Amino acid sequence: MHDITVVDLSRWQFAITVLYHFLFVPLTLGLSFMLAAMETVYVTTGKQIYREIAQFWGKLFLINFALGVATGLTMEFEFGTNWSFYSSFVGDIFGAPLAIEGLMAFFLEATFVGMMVFGWDRLKRGQHLAVTYMVALGSNLSALWILIANSFMQNPQGATFNPATMRMELTSFTQLIFSHDAQAKFVHTSIAGYVTGAIFVAGISAWYMLKGRHIELARRSFRMAVLFGVLSTAGVITLGDALGFVGGQAQPSKLAAMEGLWKSEAAPMPFNLVAFPSQKEQVNHDQLQIPYALSLLVTHSMDGTVPGFDKLEQQAVGRIKNGIPAVEALQTLASKPGDAAALAQFRAHEKDLGYGFLVQRYAEDVSKATDAEIGTAARDIIPEVAPIFWSFRAMVAMGLAMLAFFVLAVIFSLRNDIVRQRWFLKIAVWMIPVPFLACEAGWLVAELGRQPWTVYGVLPTWMSASTHSVGYMIFSLVGFVGLYTVFIIAEMYLMLRAIRKGPDEPHGDDPDRDSDPMLNNSAKAGPFAGYAEG
Amino acid sequence: MKTLLLFVLFMLIAILVILLAIVLGDSGAWYFAWLVGTGMIVLITAAGGAMLDAQDEHAALETEAGTNAKRA
Ligand code: HEM
Repeated sequence: MHDITVVDLSRWQFAITVLYHFLFVPLTLGLSFMLAAMETVYVTTGKQIYREIAQFWGKLFLINFALGVATGLTMEFEFGTNWSFYSSFVGDIFGAPLAIEGLMAFFLEATFVGMMVFGWDRLKRGQHLAVTYMVALGSNLSALWILIANSFMQNPQGATFNPATMRMELTSFTQLIFSHDAQAKFVHTSIAGYVTGAIFVAGISAWYMLKGRHIELARRSFRMAVLFGVLSTAGVITLGDALGFVGGQAQPSKLAAMEGLWKSEAAPMPFNLVAFPSQKEQVNHDQLQIPYALSLLVTHSMDGTVPGFDKLEQQAVGRIKNGIPAVEALQTLASKPGDAAALAQFRAHEKDLGYGFLVQRYAEDVSKATDAEIGTAARDIIPEVAPIFWSFRAMVAMGLAMLAFFVLAVIFSLRNDIVRQRWFLKIAVWMIPVPFLACEAGWLVAELGRQPWTVYGVLPTWMSASTHSVGYMIFSLVGFVGLYTVFIIAEMYLMLRAIRKGPDEPHGDDPDRDSDPMLNNSAKAGPFAGYAEG
Repeated sequence: MKTLLLFVLFMLIAILVILLAIVLGDSGAWYFAWLVGTGMIVLITAAGGAMLDAQDEHAALETEAGTNAKRA
């Protein structure tokens, strides 16, 4: 029997390491494509300032990339060290995308990052541009594979449990990679990275404009960032809706938690804009509702409904009862492999094997599970509602706030008026943490909402961890928190130093100014005369 | 000869893109949307940068014209 404290500590350790790691990832995903856009302008127009722009943001990209890889590495090992039962149970499926992700990250991405950094004077313009596009593709494709692996945990597709080997086996690779969940998750997450990259570039450019430094670089970077950002934010919202739609069908308990749905209701269902869910009483306090909106949002129709926890708990009782014979059959097969009767019993009940495992936490001999134990196990299918409910609202609110920010930023930038809007530039600087927080909130929704499962409906979390001691888990948890905090401080220090120093330039903003009469004129006589002197 | 080689290369790329679109459009519509969307976002962003230069050049010419008119 697993020690639940060890399981909880393993969860804390994974949550903390992954949340730290994901502070680096979205910037890599987004900034890489922004670099590609900046360099595209350099190659097509030949204007030197765009080379400087791409090199400057490339330096920040590199700092972030290095720490992202360092924090990501440990996570791959964590599956084996802290989640060994999980790893052996689904390793056949989970291992393949994880290995491809490693290959993408360390071979494709890292090789091209090296060429991008050291190749400026060694490669031709077009070749260097191709390399930058490969870096962007490589980083996003490496994220694709880890997200496919994660989607398998959210909505297991393309695999089946083999009672002869006592583990899950891959039956269809295409089903695994083309599952709707994997697709929607990848696109939502990748584009969330674009939004992060855009806010980062816009915020730092705004800071330069406020300080009157590197104005030419900052105006161009800002313009590109806000166009990149407005399109991406519209995309992330559209895809968030798609993810809610797809995910809600596969994981009704997560959807119920996101919406604070304790009781099933008739269509059209109201949306809880604000509420204070009480896990103990299974009700919401002080709720503020928008009539009809939930049916529209989650089913895209006025007469669609989704089940509340009352219905889901009831269904779980039935599924646990159906899953118990499957667990019993497995126990027989473990001692008598090939037993035909046990195999037939397993086949008849395998659909609910995971639910049978749920009750094993309370009744080791599942054949003797009481109604009370089954009831307790059924109640376990309700995840912690309040943090999921609020994280979801925080993510959506930040998404809408960023959309409003980008729309206004595009208007100011297209009017070529941004340098004068100092109040707005200040807001832009303060916006920098917002997408990072939205991403963290998104992961809290995705992962807390999947509880009590590591693989939804198949493998409960309580069974998945390794059998370490509590002391070992506390020691390694403290170690990781300490190490990762050092990483974050190092990143902040290096980034801030690079930002304060600004782009490498002999003096002024644009070393190409003297050789480019148009740029020269525009900086001196255009609407930004005076600013450009820095 | 160079034109022929370029023609063959671009035709190959076009055929590859069409095949990819057919396969992805069928079973991976969101992946396809990501590919097309990302391309579009990158290109619009790049165009925005180039447009800013054009706006600056236009503004500089207008300022110059204004100064010349005053002098005249
Ligand atoms: C505004 C509307 C948005 C909606 C409707 C939405 C919807 C969702 C949903 C339903 C999930 C849970 C996915 C799951 O169960 O696996 C999720 C996860 C996530 N969201 Fe959002 N989201 C929105 C905005 C944003 C924004 C603005 C960002 C960041 C810039 C973001 C970043 C994430 C991330 C990183 C995840 C976790 C990874 C994943 O599951 O894709 N979301 N979002």
